[in-house]
Amino acid sequence: MNDTTPPLVQIRDLSVTYKTRLGDTSAVDKVSFDIRRGEILGLVGESGCGKSTLGKALLRMIMPPGRISAGQILFNGEDILTFDDKRLRDYRGRQASMIFQDPMTSLNPVQTVEQHLTEAIQVHDAGAESQSMARRIQALIERLGIMQSRLASYPHQLSGGMRQRVMIGLGLVLNAGLIIADEATTSLDVIVEAKLVDQLREIRDEYGVTILAITHNIALVAEMADRVAVMYAGNLVELGEVNRIFDRPLHPYTQGLLASVPTTEINERKELYKMPGEPPNLARPPSGCRFHPRCPVAMPICSRYRPGLNEAAPGHWVHCWLYQDHPEKEEKTLKVAA
Amino acid sequence: MEEKQTTPEAVPQWQLDLDKVGFVRRLFLARKWYGGDWWFVAVSAVLLLFIILLGVAPQWFAPYDPREEVGPALLAPGEVPLGYVLVVPAGSSVTSIKEIGTNQNNIGFVVGSPASQALRKTTDELNAAEKEAGSGITYQPRPRRYETNELGLTDLTEGKIDGFVASMEELEPLLPNFPGVKVVGDLSGNTRTFALGTNQIGQDVLSRVIWGTRIALIVGLSSAIAAFLLGVPLGLISGFVGGPFDRILTMLMDSLYSFPGLILAIAIAAVLGAGIGNVIVAIAVLYIPTYFRIVRGQTLSVKNDLYVEAARSLGTPPWQILTKYILPNVIPSVVIIFSVNVADAILTEAGLSFLGLGLPPDTPDWGIDLARGQDYIRRAWWLITYPGLMVSLVTLSFSMLGESLAEILNPRLAEL
Repeated sequence: MNDTTPPLVQIRDLSVTYKTRLGDTSAVDKVSFDIRRGEILGLVGESGCGKSTLGKALLRMIMPPGRISAGQILFNGEDILTFDDKRLRDYRGRQASMIFQDPMTSLNPVQTVEQHLTEAIQVHDAGAESQSMARRIQALIERLGIMQSRLASYPHQLSGGMRQRVMIGLGLVLNAGLIIADEATTSLDVIVEAKLVDQLREIRDEYGVTILAITHNIALVAEMADRVAVMYAGNLVELGEVNRIFDRPLHPYTQGLLASVPTTEINERKELYKMPGEPPNLARPPSGCRFHPRCPVAMPICSRYRPGLNEAAPGHWVHCWLYQDHPEKEEKTLKVAA
Repeated sequence: MEEKQTTPEAVPQWQLDLDKVGFVRRLFLARKWYGGDWWFVAVSAVLLLFIILLGVAPQWFAPYDPREEVGPALLAPGEVPLGYVLVVPAGSSVTSIKEIGTNQNNIGFVVGSPASQALRKTTDELNAAEKEAGSGITYQPRPRRYETNELGLTDLTEGKIDGFVASMEELEPLLPNFPGVKVVGDLSGNTRTFALGTNQIGQDVLSRVIWGTRIALIVGLSSAIAAFLLGVPLGLISGFVGGPFDRILTMLMDSLYSFPGLILAIAIAAVLGAGIGNVIVAIAVLYIPTYFRIVRGQTLSVKNDLYVEAARSLGTPPWQILTKYILPNVIPSVVIIFSVNVADAILTEAGLSFLGLGLPPDTPDWGIDLARGQDYIRRAWWLITYPGLMVSLVTLSFSMLGESLAEILNPRLAEL
């Protein structure tokens, strides 16, 4: 990874709030991080922690009652929050696109695969010649391993894996630089999932696209991602290289999350870790660090002040008082080896 | 061993070529989609073609002018009208009406009886024949009207008139009392039968039913199409846009919907006045909320579907999402309503015409015939049976069409 080129996406203090009867719910709260060019960034966390909201915010797809209440999203240095409708449509699809959670319902039931692909091109390039379009589609589906005869099929005639490949094709057909895969493999069985993950990696290597893989499947992230971002209750709690995160997780939440992953080695002696407590109600988040009510190593300061995202070791950011100094902090700050 | 292998999946090349044709292919493969029920499509197609042909060219099928009084009133289907005969004095040598047809001769009949019609028709026919031959002869016997057959026959016996016209059924019991007269022959005319009978003013029911198809198709189709063309886009936009626009439009449509159908149509037709155009408008307004509600509801659910969101994430502009993603997924449920509405519109039009708010009273129209025929239901069942049958036939064929279309247009049902 070349660190001198500017990152593809820079997210700065991004907040997304939903208006509910209980008041504003901050699904994403002051999140800042970068997505580097050509990397696969895994975004993990529990259900409802704001992963998908963050993914949608990257395309400005937050629908009312939600809205992006603060922050900046810089894509190639431009703030997409300032784009007008025309510019935004151009950005969606051509520069960034999304693969959705449920491949069963994310294709139009009345359009064939070919119609989906040609339409995606035509939306952005109305004057595209059918010849060159056909060639592009041809090359793409061959790359994705979709049979030629499948072009005339309707979505209901395809298997889940095939549909998801069509969705990936939709993301790739416009040569988008950023693909946001929102639980793209969740509803597939493990074998198809593994194939698809391989394919995503190959595509990344081949086309140089950047992939943001949103998932709650930790094993999948370990398999495919270069870096991992962990979210909890709307906060980004930890971000780092995949090996570092899995070998030496710093944030207590990440430690708990990794301990909760079932493995085939579980026996009677070693029980699966169960994190105490429940995820907080985001309409009334806990004071200070949002994780402190469930944190096994909570300190007095945790309930009073919100920690910042601090680079505890090179390339490893963590959102925790354990690794930060504060005048009012009583415990000793932990030092992390590089 | 035979080397030639036939796989069940082998698809002939012409079918593959056909696959590229799109809509034509779907129509062609409809038989396959129905499995064993392909006859369903065939029957509905034949039925519809027949009805449309009737509506387009009724003059090819109708034996008579639907507005003309062509026969005696309330003649049952296939019934032979009473035969009229000419009666002359027993000693006379007259054999046909030709010999006593001049304006010097007197011919009697019972006043107000269909016998006068028979006599007039016969002389008319004779005159027409003479005119064609160019002989210059005109038949115009002087009419003598009697209160009863007996009085007429008495005068005939006494020689006061040259002939008397009456039906055979009436004469049979009387003839033994009048030995001085004899029956010489049938009068022509008025002996034809009517396949579906005649109505209360002697119009041919068959001709009226055939000509009525045209009005029914015009009113039924155009009002349903007009309601469709207004209701569907309104529902789409309202559901898609949402907000205050949707609220106001929904309230408006609900208030229209809450009126009893016929009463609203009566109110609109009363304001607009009679005439076919106004009937169409009145009925169309009646059906707009039906389309609106269905389409709006479907739009609300479809627009939250993932594939619409996926389309948006690809930068598809809103109007394209509306036309390419939402509309095709909404339309199948509307097609069924359309076919039902066509039939319903025919009945509503009948109701309006019955109240005098629809079409002029002599229009050959099923609705008018049904409404009028009700008064004669105990004496003449054929007056309402045949128009009623046609209404149900048209309803049936349109709903069959609707169902076939819904299946043909729905790719999910394709069995390729």
